Amino acid sequence: MASVTIPGQLLGPTSKYQPGPGTHIHQTNLYSSLLGVVHVSQPVKAPGPAKRLNKITPAPAPAELPTISVSRSGVSEKREVLPEVGNVVLCRVVRISPRQAVVAILICGDTVLDAEWQGVIRVQDVRATEKDRVKIYESFRPGDIVRAEVISLGDQANYYLSTAKNELGVIMATSEAGNTMYPVSWKEYRDPETGVSEARKVAKPF
Amino acid sequence: MTTESLLVLPGDEIDPSLIPTHKKNPLRLGPGLRHVPPNHILPTVAGQLVADHRKTSLYVEYNGGRYIPSVSDLVIGQVTRSAADLYYVNLNPYTPNASLPHLAFEGATKKTRPQLAPGALVYARISLANRHMDPELECVSATTGKAEGLGPLTGGMIFDISLGLARRLLMARSREAGGIAVLELLGAEGLAFETAVGRNGKVWVGSENTKTVVLVGRALKETDEKGLDVEQQKKLVQKLIKQMR
Repeated sequence: MASVTIPGQLLGPTSKYQPGPGTHIHQTNLYSSLLGVVHVSQPVKAPGPAKRLNKITPAPAPAELPTISVSRSGVSEKREVLPEVGNVVLCRVVRISPRQAVVAILICGDTVLDAEWQGVIRVQDVRATEKDRVKIYESFRPGDIVRAEVISLGDQANYYLSTAKNELGVIMATSEAGNTMYPVSWKEYRDPETGVSEARKVAKPF
Repeated sequence: MTTESLLVLPGDEIDPSLIPTHKKNPLRLGPGLRHVPPNHILPTVAGQLVADHRKTSLYVEYNGGRYIPSVSDLVIGQVTRSAADLYYVNLNPYTPNASLPHLAFEGATKKTRPQLAPGALVYARISLANRHMDPELECVSATTGKAEGLGPLTGGMIFDISLGLARRLLMARSREAGGIAVLELLGAEGLAFETAVGRNGKVWVGSENTKTVVLVGRALKETDEKGLDVEQQKKLVQKLIKQMR
């Protein structure tokens, strides 16, 4: 059924439907959270174990209820991709301060995000070793592209990211002179034109 | 050391014969010059081009209006407030505050550390300075762990001077290299005072006698504003001493 709902519209009671993406529950009713198209998916009948006498089973298994979900663009398979804990993301460093680097998350996994989410890489999450001796200025600079892992969904403003693995860190950097640099070790990038090296926390290329 | 007295403007071509060369040492560019690969050197400020053949270096001596912090400069700042484990120190009115950690003093531990109230003056060295972050200061030498004259400045008074005069006062031989003899002359006349010069255009004068502090300050400000050379500085010192007595 292709009905359009607005945020706050009542979809049904929780006794009849299972909440899916784009919906929320308020006092045993399901409401839509988005402006979009409603989808009801029929439950997959789980093959239950052979009936045993004298077994206490929980009352109606939740998988038997149909799932109701609301999606924005109307294409049923397209979902809003959001960074989750454990995802590897690509981000661009926006600014640095002595205790953290603020980044804009651009790509989550393989999907380019519609909106740029703000993330923070704290100084203790830059490296796995010698965390107290990290200098942000020698790890990141504004404008670098960094591969990082989401460690927490954080608060209202930021995701928390970490680059404390060998394959995480700066993957693309521009030198002070304006040229793209090449990595020479785990902590150095070099400008091929001027020959000057700059310190970064370099990601191991695969 | 050979000095060429050539005025350059930003973007001027530099005559290759002025550039010092050496068989082994590479040419070192100081402030005010930019290397454009492969073989152009361009001035970025207006000033006097100085070529030092002994050190194979080339730089521009200029009197700018805006202090740009660089690592291991000595500066005088005023504490504005105290945060978690650092002080925010103001170096000049047009930049954000620099940070000075509470423990960056000689012999400071969590239990014993100097308590600086807002408004206090400190003589510090810049430990981190770059375009992207606010500068960070320290009042102890990182290598030796000793203060070496850094730390809070009590009493006395601060005077604002131009950046060019601050640089000349901080030179090792300020009379020959920078043409500043006024402090020596005042000391020779019997005045007892001490000074601290900050590269950010501030000089602190301290003395037991308030008149001395004011006199030294006035002498420095007149040298600065009128651009006096050594002879004129001698005359100024004599005039001020006569007024005082």
